[in-house]
Amino acid sequence: MSKIKIIFSQTLMISTAILFGLGVQAFFYMLYGNGDRISWQWFIPLSIIVTAFLCSVPTLLLLDEAESSKNFTIRQILHFLCVLAVLSLCGWLFDWYDSVSSYLFVLVMYVIIYVFVCVATYWLAKNDEIKINDALDGVRDEE
Amino acid sequence: MKVTLEKVQNEDEEEAIIRAVEMTEEIKSARELLENNCRSIPVSETSGESGSGTVMLGTDKIYYTESVDKRTYVYTKEKCYETKYRLYELEELLNSNFLRCSKSLIINIRKIRSVKSEINGRMVAVMLNGEQTVISRSYVKELKKKLGV
Repeated sequence: MSKIKIIFSQTLMISTAILFGLGVQAFFYMLYGNGDRISWQWFIPLSIIVTAFLCSVPTLLLLDEAESSKNFTIRQILHFLCVLAVLSLCGWLFDWYDSVSSYLFVLVMYVIIYVFVCVATYWLAKNDEIKINDALDGVRDEE
Repeated sequence: MKVTLEKVQNEDEEEAIIRAVEMTEEIKSARELLENNCRSIPVSETSGESGSGTVMLGTDKIYYTESVDKRTYVYTKEKCYETKYRLYELEELLNSNFLRCSKSLIINIRKIRSVKSEINGRMVAVMLNGEQTVISRSYVKELKKKLGV
């Protein structure tokens, strides 16, 4: 049940991230005077949700708690590549890019978002570590 | 067992009388709990020395308990004991200072020197005796809740 919950929340987060990417793309179009070129086909919102769901499935690779940190790094790299493959395939199927440059844009957005999520997760964990250590000072027994 | 509580006016009059047919481990624990404000559990030493029978171990001495191959081990600062209790039974028996931190481990929060987060979302708890135990990602939230973080 918890895995389904994780997949569901990941789908929501990735959908939001893709919408953010789309928003940034539209913003740049507008900045360079191509605002009138912005249009989306009827299946784009649905394709975002389908892609987000497929991108969330590789998250299962990261859920094995028994793994050591070294193995986790390997799994993280695998996860990065799997999600990139899903994103590239879905983008091609759903006609998200019409040229190499637009594919590169999607690629760059993906790398930025992935790195941002990793850094944010690490920062939150470190923050938790500091808070927990501070709280432990108040309850710790004398040795 | 029937338990009767009779209110008294001051602490000097406080007294607990246990009327039992024989002294059982449970009654021993209850007695120690009342006398020392600390529960004890029956454990046996794992060192294999001859004559190492069952002893009562105060839960305040426990650093962590671990389940390995359907056996439950209790670790103190320097020693390791085995107990007849299963981990889920200990979880109910031990007080709020203890926290389940993985499927096979219960840890005494008061014996943690520090925690360190790992890249995979887990945390490593360094105990007061220098030993390290892993707190699974799913139980980190529980630890934070318990500490009011």
